[in-house]
Amino acid sequence: MTTELIVVGVSHRTTPVELREQLAVDAERCATDLHRLVDESGLTEAVLVSTCNRVELIASTRERALALRAVTAYFNERTAPGALDGCIYEHTGVGAVRHLFRVASGLDSMVLGEPQILGQVKEAFTLAHDEGTVGTLLGRCFDRSFKVAKRVRSETDIAEGNVSVSSIACDLAEKIFGDLAGRAVLLVGAGKMGESAARSLAARGARLTVINRDPQKAARVAAACQGDARPMEALATELAVADVVITSTSKPDFLITPELMEGVGKMRRWKPIFFIDIAVPRDVDPRIGSLRNVFLYDVDDLEKVSRENLSARQRAAGEAERIVDAEVAEFERWMHSLALSPTIVALREKVRGIVLAEKQKVLPRLDGLNPQQAQALDRMCESIVNQLLHRPLTELKQGGEDAQDTVLLVQRLFGLTVDAEQPSPGESQAEAELEAATRRRT
Amino acid sequence: MDLAAALFLGTVASYALACAFFFAHLARGGERSTRLATRTLAASIGLHVVFLGVTMADAGRPGLAGIHQTLAVLSFLVALGFLASMRRRRLTVLGAFITPVTLLLLLGAGLRGHVTEVPEHVRSAMLSVHIVVNVLGIVAFALAFAVALAYVIQEQLLRRKQLGGVFQRLPALDVLDALGLRLVTIGFPLFTVGVVTGSIWAAQLGRGSASLSTGQNFALLAWLFFACVLLARAAAGWRGRRAAVGTMLGFLCALAAIGGYLLQSAGGT
Repeated sequence: MTTELIVVGVSHRTTPVELREQLAVDAERCATDLHRLVDESGLTEAVLVSTCNRVELIASTRERALALRAVTAYFNERTAPGALDGCIYEHTGVGAVRHLFRVASGLDSMVLGEPQILGQVKEAFTLAHDEGTVGTLLGRCFDRSFKVAKRVRSETDIAEGNVSVSSIACDLAEKIFGDLAGRAVLLVGAGKMGESAARSLAARGARLTVINRDPQKAARVAAACQGDARPMEALATELAVADVVITSTSKPDFLITPELMEGVGKMRRWKPIFFIDIAVPRDVDPRIGSLRNVFLYDVDDLEKVSRENLSARQRAAGEAERIVDAEVAEFERWMHSLALSPTIVALREKVRGIVLAEKQKVLPRLDGLNPQQAQALDRMCESIVNQLLHRPLTELKQGGEDAQDTVLLVQRLFGLTVDAEQPSPGESQAEAELEAATRRRT
Repeated sequence: MDLAAALFLGTVASYALACAFFFAHLARGGERSTRLATRTLAASIGLHVVFLGVTMADAGRPGLAGIHQTLAVLSFLVALGFLASMRRRRLTVLGAFITPVTLLLLLGAGLRGHVTEVPEHVRSAMLSVHIVVNVLGIVAFALAFAVALAYVIQEQLLRRKQLGGVFQRLPALDVLDALGLRLVTIGFPLFTVGVVTGSIWAAQLGRGSASLSTGQNFALLAWLFFACVLLARAAAGWRGRRAAVGTMLGFLCALAAIGGYLLQSAGGT
């Protein structure tokens, strides 16, 4: 029985948020659950990834059916009976590798190509590594997934152009003002999207002022970003000093009119100002967009940018999938060589044992060997082993559709007794043998 | 073809190539086109130095002997000034606007195949100061023109909500505005000294204001534009598009002044 990778989980594609939030785990619970799963579910290694969009267990096992059942039960035990029917997905072998590579690269994310997922996967891996539930196979697989994600990001446009309205608003503000540190941001109203955009700007060093009809709400939002809350009456005064204005009130008519801006413009000596009108119906009269040094983007403009950026990302996704395919094939070759390891170790030990036994038999008849001659004899024995093994190792390494038959044939021909559950050190040695065989061949 | 002419053509071709690479970088982006453009521009500057050396050797003395050689030096300094100042600020994309100016000035220098000597009777220390400070002032104005053009394009793209590649590659509006102001602030005092020394020099020769040439008229107009831009920025809070357009018009007047001197030189007066 060979070790196999499996992925079991739920994500935004299959499961509503009400269920995902029941399955999400914090770091402490994650550590406990990892040990429990490894101890009770027939897993040899395990990493639990828990984000707002997915909860997944990536593991290796020698008992696939048992492991899949146990992990599915682990998910089911935390929701109402039958609630996860049709929600849990499973990937095994190469499919599991492909899934992990796609997840790390942001290809399976709700926002295609978003970069946060890579950090979350790395965090999950580090936690599992610290808990000791990661070994050779999973370690290599995750390490490779980080490299794949980096390749996808650097070789394609998958991460180009933001797609969230708040990020687009920040990018545009930076295209007007350059560095946002110290810039004055005025948030009028406190809709969720507006608040999110204001927080993003504040995170880039901007100073936030919040104006809202509800003073308590204004104070709460301002306090969250170390900003100031001001009453609605201070609107004109604040407009006179603001660089970026985000409006998201529920006012039925325009809050900011050309007449108001004419007066404000004079007060601010027509310093550039950027309006982000996220309200529906709109808060800012579109006519002010033609005033001097006034730039106005409404929610439709921002969503159009988002669609264009998303469309560009989708075009890049095809190229990203090709990179993932190539990397999966490469990893598959490595897994194949890993599966061969026990056979290679056994074969090498067998041949070396025969040669050394023959050497021991003839040594008593070779009296008076000086050190140089003894060394030459050792080298000859090693050379015989290498030359004998060269062709079989090469055939084994080539793999292909009949790889399993080749392994069985070699085992039968040389009378090898192979324990598939050999520990890692032997596998590493076998890998080195394979590398050496490849080098000799080329 | 003599060596100077061959070097001139080589330098022009090299600047044209750099120009094409800068345009490619502006249009499509990518590290490769930036590297190619910057290296080609550096090579062009190298060729330009050799060209200047050969023409000065031909003239028998260093210096700015006549409008053509002045233009050759001016175009060299514009390219050098760009490479020295913009690369550090990661504004190499502005090469798409500055290399055509360099090319235009260099082509102006080549309108006549040889260097025209300044007549002995009009040479003076005042003339040397006049030429040197004017050249330095126009270098600053040329760079300010490129920055202002980038501002106008970027602002239009932002207003039209065309946020594609060119918009992404051009710098932030505020960065361009501040840089434009700085360059005009550097260029204006130099150009002012140039205008004053030119007037004194003309007075010494007994040429009154009634007989101002086309070149001199445009030079005064350029000075007026830049003066207005600086004054309006300080007094009326002008910034952004208006200041950028004023800067561009000022530089175009300076170019027209150079054109006037070239025509005057061609006319032999």
